[in-house]
Amino acid sequence: MPRWGMVIDLAKCTACQACVVACQTENNVPCVEPEQAARGRRISWLTVLPELHGDYPRVSMRLLPLPCLHCDSPPCIRVCPVGATGITPEGVVRQTFARCIGCRYCTNACPYTRRMFNWYRPEFPGGLSLALNPDVSVRPKGVVEKCTLCHHRLMQARERAQAEERPLAEGDYLPACVEICPATAMYFGDLEDPDSKVAELARSPRAFRYLEELGTEPKVIYLSEGEWTGSEEERR
Amino acid sequence: MELAPPWKAPWFLGFGFFFAVGWFLFGWVWPAPSPRQPLRYNHAVHIANGMGCVDCHAGGRDQERATLPGLDTCLMCHQEAVTESSEEEKIRAFAAAGREIPWAQATRVPRHVYFSHRRHVALGGLECVDCHGAMETRTEPPRYPVGPTTMDACLDCHEQRKVDNDCNRCHR
Repeated sequence: MPRWGMVIDLAKCTACQACVVACQTENNVPCVEPEQAARGRRISWLTVLPELHGDYPRVSMRLLPLPCLHCDSPPCIRVCPVGATGITPEGVVRQTFARCIGCRYCTNACPYTRRMFNWYRPEFPGGLSLALNPDVSVRPKGVVEKCTLCHHRLMQARERAQAEERPLAEGDYLPACVEICPATAMYFGDLEDPDSKVAELARSPRAFRYLEELGTEPKVIYLSEGEWTGSEEERR
Repeated sequence: MELAPPWKAPWFLGFGFFFAVGWFLFGWVWPAPSPRQPLRYNHAVHIANGMGCVDCHAGGRDQERATLPGLDTCLMCHQEAVTESSEEEKIRAFAAAGREIPWAQATRVPRHVYFSHRRHVALGGLECVDCHGAMETRTEPPRYPVGPTTMDACLDCHEQRKVDNDCNRCHR
């Protein structure tokens, strides 16, 4: 059984945000008004997280594309009182939107803040409502949502492979963010398969996991030249 | 003082009366809203004449969604009168008016559920009849959902057939 994982090469990432836009359109993520966004009520399954370092004139900025990290030991699923979220045998931290009661325990439990609450009725102004993806539901108000690793794409890829009577090949199933990345900084595949590109990159000495000290065991692995690892003091 | 038996009490008789009237009104005179079909399509006759399900419901075997037949599909046989039925005449009336037949979709799953016919029929080896029942006996077009559209029904069948019950295979 595969164990889906993602590798993001921070040296290649140009922070163009194409992945963010691809994610929003693929997954019918609603728009919110600017004043609501200012209150932190914006929904974005994948965010490019900016981190400013140093004082003027020696300033450096680092950007980290942050989807749900699909932890092997996710703190969010343990707190769900209704079993609306869980981890699939393939390692995807799933969320059944129709089951969610909107208690937001998981939103608070996630150390990466990768779970977002629908504060408002979903709105798609202008022609956006005509561009909704029919494979993904529109989550109603009062429901927590998160990255599903484009689970619908996995379903379709598997169906296609089965119809063609062949096993699922590498690259058959890619989440929208990985597919769009113009800098090819994102890799996706089966971490269990030792020959896959992601497994190879995950073994590289540049690989690290974000906030690994929390013991969440994320399956999104970053590649960098070391400046992201270590404690806050060490990095400065 | 001795109490009268409850079925003689006025409140009980009143309640019974209103219940009976309500049953009559809501059950028979005013049935639950359901889609009315534009013409009285007869499944039994078509199937008896050797037509298969996917001849009209294209995609029901190898696509995600099964479809309702468009006017073109009907006109393939009904360009000229095949029978003397006045219902058949309606097809050509729609064609003359340049309108599609406004079929009402009777069977649908909720918006947050992903259901693929291909996965069930072409890959899973189910037959149409397994979910939709014996359509060859129906002489009227369906006004109510044909087939189980409840989660209980899905889970029961998945358990019986030892298929994966992972939530997000269906919930999206």
